[in-house]
Amino acid sequence: MIRTALATMAVWAAPAAVAQAETTSATIAPSLFPNRLGARAALTFTIRYAGVEFGVPSPLNVPSPVRRAVLHFPAGLRLDIPKLRSCTVARLRAHGASGCPARSRIGSGHALVESRTGSQTITENITLQAFLGPPQNLRPTFAILAQGYTPIEERVVLKGTVLADSAPYGEELKMSIPPIPTLPNEPDASIATFSLTVGQSKRRRARDANTVVVPSSCPIGGFPFAGEFTYADGSAGAALATTPCPG
Amino acid sequence: MLCKARALIAALLAFACMLIAAVALAADTETVTIDARFSPDKLGAPTNLSATAKFSSAAPGPQSPVTKVTAYAPAGMLVDVRGAGTCAATAAKLEAVGPSVCPADSRVGFGKGIGLFEIAGENVPGPFTLEFFLARKEHGHIVMLIYVSAVTPATEQLALVAREVRAPKPYGFGITFDVPIIPTLPGAALGWVDHVFLTFGAKNVAYYKTVHGKKKLVHVRGVVVPTTCPRGGFPIKAIIGFADGAMVTVTPTIPCPHKQ
Repeated sequence: MIRTALATMAVWAAPAAVAQAETTSATIAPSLFPNRLGARAALTFTIRYAGVEFGVPSPLNVPSPVRRAVLHFPAGLRLDIPKLRSCTVARLRAHGASGCPARSRIGSGHALVESRTGSQTITENITLQAFLGPPQNLRPTFAILAQGYTPIEERVVLKGTVLADSAPYGEELKMSIPPIPTLPNEPDASIATFSLTVGQSKRRRARDANTVVVPSSCPIGGFPFAGEFTYADGSAGAALATTPCPG
Repeated sequence: MLCKARALIAALLAFACMLIAAVALAADTETVTIDARFSPDKLGAPTNLSATAKFSSAAPGPQSPVTKVTAYAPAGMLVDVRGAGTCAATAAKLEAVGPSVCPADSRVGFGKGIGLFEIAGENVPGPFTLEFFLARKEHGHIVMLIYVSAVTPATEQLALVAREVRAPKPYGFGITFDVPIIPTLPGAALGWVDHVFLTFGAKNVAYYKTVHGKKKLVHVRGVVVPTTCPRGGFPIKAIIGFADGAMVTVTPTIPCPHKQ
């Protein structure tokens, strides 16, 4: 059994905090299910981006495309991978999810991307599938396949590397997000929401499935999560959130 | 201010359908430079056709607004709109309600640009956007609705109708539309356009359609690059009529695709 300390992302949760960049704000919302100390669980991590106008997040403004994200995860949170299989970014780009071993898949989710084209904001729903990549310098890597179909069929692969972090966090996931092209001379698409669930709760889990393991102890105030974001316009921002300690 | 904005938009509109790289002169004063390209530029492949038109004048002061545009695409270039939706709205309704009146899958192109109009001897810029919607065919010919929107210095919207026309050799698909002249303040000059960028189609457009009761992803080929490229590149032609009676003809070319 191989155990890799966790560093990933996904959907809805408890408290979420806002941090603001010059033109784009981001909020993060992590959740664990089941939220029980030491339990094998699913982590859902949602990020929402919004354009900022007059210092206030505005749903009418398309956020700047995010280029880099660093996600921080609480100490003790880890990913349990019973049978290690990995998939390369090149393979994902060329063949999609079907080109990767099933055991390399660690999660799934969805995203919404937006682009201001003409006088309208065009949106596209994206499906996300997360895969374990080959280790780099003995550090785990992840690849997230983002596939949209309409109105523009587009496939993008996000890459992430897990590194050790400083307290109160255990590890951080550094992700690079490539430009999402739209049309010539039109701006790249921006991610508005990004929600990924890694691992599976016991109810749906196969015996040897990849899962998240909840830390065996919970710090006062709950499990801390954080995100730092760098945008295409050069601005940057951060967001903090905690998930409550198991009751 | 509103009247001026309308005049500006009218001028802007005029360039909505130019495809391409060339320079033409009208009445020895007006100059039009057009640059166009296919992306990707692969023979026989669905593509995006984009064009930038830049306008200038040797004469000082306000330029004459555009009143008519006719553009011809190269022979062999297909405009395959099967799978796309159509906008059933009239131009008047589109102008009154906005783009939401047209289904998303009827959108076939976009554009943006900068218009100018003179106030107290100063050229005031007015950015604008263009959206192209596929309308119901007329006598088997393609019809497009063009929605023009400007927000600053004043909010103004306008809708035009562009119709497919027969093109002379060596051209294929042709399209034409008129631009109304809208007066500004009494004695004031009409607005004119500085530059405009247009983009039509994409290589990977797809929409979900219900086919035999099942949801199916349907790809729209849209603009398709000709399967052969004549020596010197794909020829394009644009004829631009101005309010002062001048007529500019631009005959640029799109370079042939690089051999793979």
